[in-house]
Amino acid sequence: MLEHYMIQGSSYASHIDGLVWVVLLITTFWFLLAEGMFFYLLWRYREQPGKKALYINDDLEHAIKYKWVEIPHRLILICDVAVILGAVSVWSEVKLSMPVTDETVRITAQQWAWTFRHAGADGELDTADDIVTVDDLHVQLGKTYKFELAAKDVLHSFSVPVFRLKQDAIPGRVISGWFKPTQAGEFDVQCAEICGIGHGIMPARLYVETPEAHAEWIAHPTHYLAYKNK
Amino acid sequence: MVSARPTLAALALTLTASAGCADLPEGGVARGAVLYQNCDQCHGKAGEGSTLVQAPPIAGLPGWYIEEQVLHFQWGWRGAHPDDVEGLKMRPMSRTIKSDADVKVVAEYVSSLPAAATPATLTGDAEKGKAGFATCSACHGADGAGNEAMKAPPIKQLPDWYIVRQIGKFKAGIRGYQAEDAAGATMKGIAGTVADDAAARDLAAYIQTL
Repeated sequence: MLEHYMIQGSSYASHIDGLVWVVLLITTFWFLLAEGMFFYLLWRYREQPGKKALYINDDLEHAIKYKWVEIPHRLILICDVAVILGAVSVWSEVKLSMPVTDETVRITAQQWAWTFRHAGADGELDTADDIVTVDDLHVQLGKTYKFELAAKDVLHSFSVPVFRLKQDAIPGRVISGWFKPTQAGEFDVQCAEICGIGHGIMPARLYVETPEAHAEWIAHPTHYLAYKNK
Repeated sequence: MVSARPTLAALALTLTASAGCADLPEGGVARGAVLYQNCDQCHGKAGEGSTLVQAPPIAGLPGWYIEEQVLHFQWGWRGAHPDDVEGLKMRPMSRTIKSDADVKVVAEYVSSLPAAATPATLTGDAEKGKAGFATCSACHGADGAGNEAMKAPPIKQLPDWYIVRQIGKFKAGIRGYQAEDAAGATMKGIAGTVADDAAARDLAAYIQTL
């Protein structure tokens, strides 16, 4: 259902969405149960003619506490453990592991632009046929990419909603990560960390292309911002 | 909170100079003053610039030049090169001005601001720079006052750090890279004759004396 609003464009997007679903279902279940019980008790113990309020003594309080606090508390802890296990699993896959990658793309953030260094036809960075673009990222469908993310000035965050990818860029550090596009198309990239007055106008465009279209782009990077052999 | 200062300044300008601005788009410099509030974050409320964010002073520059440069930023003719750190900041900001008419009124407003003297921040040999300036004077004039017919802006009011930086950018092809930008392409070729950074500083030192 989440993919109805935002397509799942990377190999791990569905896993992140699955985790969101787990959290959503668990919290929805407990929210409805707690609110339902709250309103039921309000109705059940409403003021009625001839019935007096019952003062709680220590023994009764202990029994009530166990039934209404301790048991739900332990059940919620079990749910927490389930969420944590799921989160650690997804975090480990997305952030901690680095699969064998086909290509590397270098991403540099600055106020208020994204610079992308793509490997050219040789598939290797830092060679004569590298293609450097501003605000346009071109990748091939189905390839696994390693990215190297840096910032020139202040904190930025590389956010690609269709990939369910968000990674802070920190001046002085090169942060590595990966993604594998699974849907061809044209998508948004946006800075997701406040970075100055131009933060809101710091978007970029992601082009996920079929192998044929990507080869064509590498051969003819026609965009006027593309600089070959720089 | 929106400052009333630019609006009031522009109102005064509109009242005093309305006859001369008859051909300005609707709103005139008053609208330009309001729109300028996006620019003053870096260029300063009086257009005095900021070395901290490497934004040059722009107060008093001719309207035609400011208008042209803002459009060049919008089109990607300037500030789109991956190594142009300052230009890449200006490019998206230029695009916050939504129409050519608005670009014009902002340019006129900036042009109406009084230019201030720029103190020297670099050391250079003005005498050596004077010899090199002969090439520059062909377009920018012997007094550095510029020449609209040749699309050469006045440079005598520019700070030395900005002059050196721009010569470096032209030389490296970071600015003036667009073939359609004839003046930029010309400047790129001319900047190539400046031997090195020291020669650029000498030129800037001489321009400071104009």
